[in-house]
Amino acid sequence: MADFDCDICIVGSGAGAGPIIYELSRAGYKVVVLEKGPWLKTADFTKDEMTATRRDAYTPNLEEERHIVVKKSSSGNWTEKNTADGGSDLWNGSCVGGSSNFMSAYFHRMKPNDFQLYSKYGPIDGANIVDWPIKYDDLEPYYAKVEKVIGVSGKVVDHKHQEPRSTPDYPHPPLTTNIVADWFVEGGKKEGWNIVPAARGIISEPKDDRRACYHSNYCGSYGCSSDAKASSRAALINKALKTGNCDIRPLSKVYHIATNGQNEIVKAHYYDADDNKQSVTAKIFVVACQAVETSRLLLMSKNEEFPNGLANNSGQVGKNLLFAGGGAGSGYIRFDSLSEEDRNKFDVPLTFVNQALIDFYEIDDPEFGGKAKGGTIDFLIEHSNPMPKVFRSKYKNGTLLYGSDLKENLQDYFTKQKRVRYEVFCDWLPNDDCHVSLDENVTDKWGDPVGKVKLGYHEQNLKVGNFLADKGMTVLKNIGAIKVTKSITGNPPTNLMAGGCRFGDDPKNSVLNANCQAHEVNNLYVTDGSFMPTGGSVPYTFTIYANAFRVADHLIERLGKEA
Amino acid sequence: MKSKTVKKSIPNRYLDLEQWQTDRRKFLRGALLAGAMTQIGFFTSCSTKLKEGNDLLTAEQATILNDVLNIFFPNDGNGPDAEDINAFGYVMWVLHDTLNRKIEDNAYILVGLNWADETAQEIYFSPFVELSQEQKEALVGKFTELDWGKNWSSMIITLILEALVLDPIYGGNKNEAGWNWLNHTPGFPRPTEENRYERIMEKQMKLVK
Repeated sequence: MADFDCDICIVGSGAGAGPIIYELSRAGYKVVVLEKGPWLKTADFTKDEMTATRRDAYTPNLEEERHIVVKKSSSGNWTEKNTADGGSDLWNGSCVGGSSNFMSAYFHRMKPNDFQLYSKYGPIDGANIVDWPIKYDDLEPYYAKVEKVIGVSGKVVDHKHQEPRSTPDYPHPPLTTNIVADWFVEGGKKEGWNIVPAARGIISEPKDDRRACYHSNYCGSYGCSSDAKASSRAALINKALKTGNCDIRPLSKVYHIATNGQNEIVKAHYYDADDNKQSVTAKIFVVACQAVETSRLLLMSKNEEFPNGLANNSGQVGKNLLFAGGGAGSGYIRFDSLSEEDRNKFDVPLTFVNQALIDFYEIDDPEFGGKAKGGTIDFLIEHSNPMPKVFRSKYKNGTLLYGSDLKENLQDYFTKQKRVRYEVFCDWLPNDDCHVSLDENVTDKWGDPVGKVKLGYHEQNLKVGNFLADKGMTVLKNIGAIKVTKSITGNPPTNLMAGGCRFGDDPKNSVLNANCQAHEVNNLYVTDGSFMPTGGSVPYTFTIYANAFRVADHLIERLGKEA
Repeated sequence: MKSKTVKKSIPNRYLDLEQWQTDRRKFLRGALLAGAMTQIGFFTSCSTKLKEGNDLLTAEQATILNDVLNIFFPNDGNGPDAEDINAFGYVMWVLHDTLNRKIEDNAYILVGLNWADETAQEIYFSPFVELSQEQKEALVGKFTELDWGKNWSSMIITLILEALVLDPIYGGNKNEAGWNWLNHTPGFPRPTEENRYERIMEKQMKLVK
C-alpha cells in the first residue's frame, strides 16, 4: 500500500460502482470513491416536486455541463442540439449513489436467450448484434446475490419465459399493490395471457438499518426516505462505510486517467469541490459513471500510449451505445364506470401495480419471419406527483385552456378518473448510428470537451415495440380503460442507457474482456451498464448490479493473488 | 442586431420574434379595424387602484400580473381562484429565486407584462391598468391565441399550476387549497426549511460543501 493511495479507486458511485465499493471494502481493501455530485443523505430526500423535477436539483447545471445530441430530423437530416438549449438531457442523478437513488426499481432478470441474441435469433441487417462472452448461468448466482444483499421483493409465478433460478423465490414478499393489479391479471386472462408479478428493488420489510417501504405516494424520480429503495447509497455504500475502508469523495470530478506507458493506469486526476486539481493513485481503477460519461472519460484520457483515448486503440470506446427500446401507452379508467366498492379500492394513494406480461419475450409470428426477440410489458398507474397531470390538463384538443375551462379540465382529470399505463421494453439494437464521441467545439465549465451523443435507432425497435404495445393496449381496453393510446418512437428513454464499452472475447470489436477488464489496460475495469453488448428487454439496473457483484469477486481474487 | 438584444432577455425556447411581430401587427390591425373595442377605453375610470409595487415590479406591473393571474384562474365558484392559492406571492417567490438555472425565464415574465401594457395602449389608447374588467379579459384572452402571447400565457399558466399543486412551502397552494380541491394526497415526507429546494440546489451547485 505504501506506493498507492488505495487499493482500488472507483469513479462514480451508482449501481455499477456500489457492489465493488461494498465487496472490496468488506474484504479489507482500501477503497476511494470519486463522485462528481454532492453527498445527499436520506434526510435530504423529500417528496418535493420543486426539487426533483421542476428545478432538477439532483442533476448538474446544463449551462456548465451539457451534451451535444445528434438526432435525425423528420426530413432525414442529422441535426445537432445542445442540451443547454432545452428539451431532455442525459443526466440522471449527480450525487452519491447516482441515478439509483431515483430509479423506479423494476427488477426483471435478463433471460438466457438474451446472452446469445446472435446465436439464437441470427443477424439483423444494420444491427451490430453479438453474443455475450458469458452465459446466463454465469450471472445467475449474482442475480440471486443482488436479491439477497440489496433486497428485492416479489413473488415467483411460473410463466413460459421464466428464467432458471437457484432460489425458489425472492427474499422479501411482494409490496402491497392497488386493486387495479388484479384487474390487469384478469384483463390478460381474457386473451389467454399470463400476467405475473414483477419484482422490485424495494424492500417490503425492514432489513438491517433500512426501513420497509411505507408507500410514500411519490416513488420514481424521487429519493427514498426510508431507504427501502435499493439505491447503491442506501443498500451498499452506507454498509461499506462501516468497514472503515471506504473513503467517499463527493464533488470530485475526474477529468483524466493517466497511464505509465506500460498499459497500466497510475493516477486518476480530478477537480475537487473548490475546482482545485487533485489525483489518486491505486492498484486498480474502476470506471462507472453511467454509459455516456464513462465513454467520454475514457475518450478524454488521451496520451501518447492511447492517442484515441484510454483503452481505445481498437476504436471501440463509445460505440454501440444502447438505450431501452420500446415506449409506453396509457388509457383512463373513469370512476363513474366502476361500482362504488371498486372505486373506493382503486382511488386511493397506492400507486404500485407490479404486474408484467412476459409471454411475448419471444415472438413467434409470421410478420417477423418466425421466431424473433420480443420483450416485456409492465403495467402501472400514473405517478402521483401532480405536475405531469396539470400539464396534461392545460390543453384540450391542442388549445391552451384558461379560466373556467382550465379549472373544469383540472378537476375532471384529478377527481373523475385515473390514468393507467403500460411500458414496453424491447432490445435497443446496437448500430453504427448510436454512439458517444467528444465534441470538437463545446466544452464544460472546466474546459474539457463535452460528450457528443448520436442517437440513431434501428427500425426493428419500432416493429417489436409496436407489436408489444398492441398487447398492452388490448389489456388496458379489457379492464375498461378508454382513450387507450400507444407511443412507440425512436426517441430513447435517456434514463436507461448502456453500452459504449462492450465486453467480448475479441479485442478488435470490444473494449472489455469477460471480466469487464479493458483488453488494452491491465488495471482498468468498467462496471456500469457500458459493458453490455446488448441489453435484453428489461430495465438495466438489476443486471448492472449483478454484473458488478460478479466483477467484485474477480477483483477480490486478483488482489488476493497479487498480495 | 435588434433581435440579439432581445435574445439576452428572452429564452430561446420562447423567442420567435419575427413571428411575434408579424402576428402582433396583424392582431393590432384587426383590432383597430374592428373599431368598437378602441372606443371603450375612453369611458373607463382614471382612478384605478393599483396593487402595491415591490423591489422587482412597479405598481403597474404588479397590477397587470395580478389581473392576468385572476383572469387565467378566476373566482368562478369552482374551487380556489388565483388569490386563494396565492399565485401572485408564488410568482414573486419565483422572481426572487436566484438559484433557478433558467433565470432568463424571469426576465421573460417581466417582458410579457410590459408587452401586455404596450398592447393595451395600442388597442385601447389606455394603460392596461385603466381598462375595464371586460376589456382586460378580452385582451388577455386574445394573448392566448397569438404566437407570442401564447408562449407567454402558457408560461404564466404553468406558474399558476405550480402555485396550485406544489408544496405550500414555496408560497403557493395556500392552506393546501389546491390539493384539497383536486383531492390530491401529496408524497411524504414533505419538504421542510432544512431540505427545501434551495438547500439541495446549494449542495448541487457546490455553494455548500
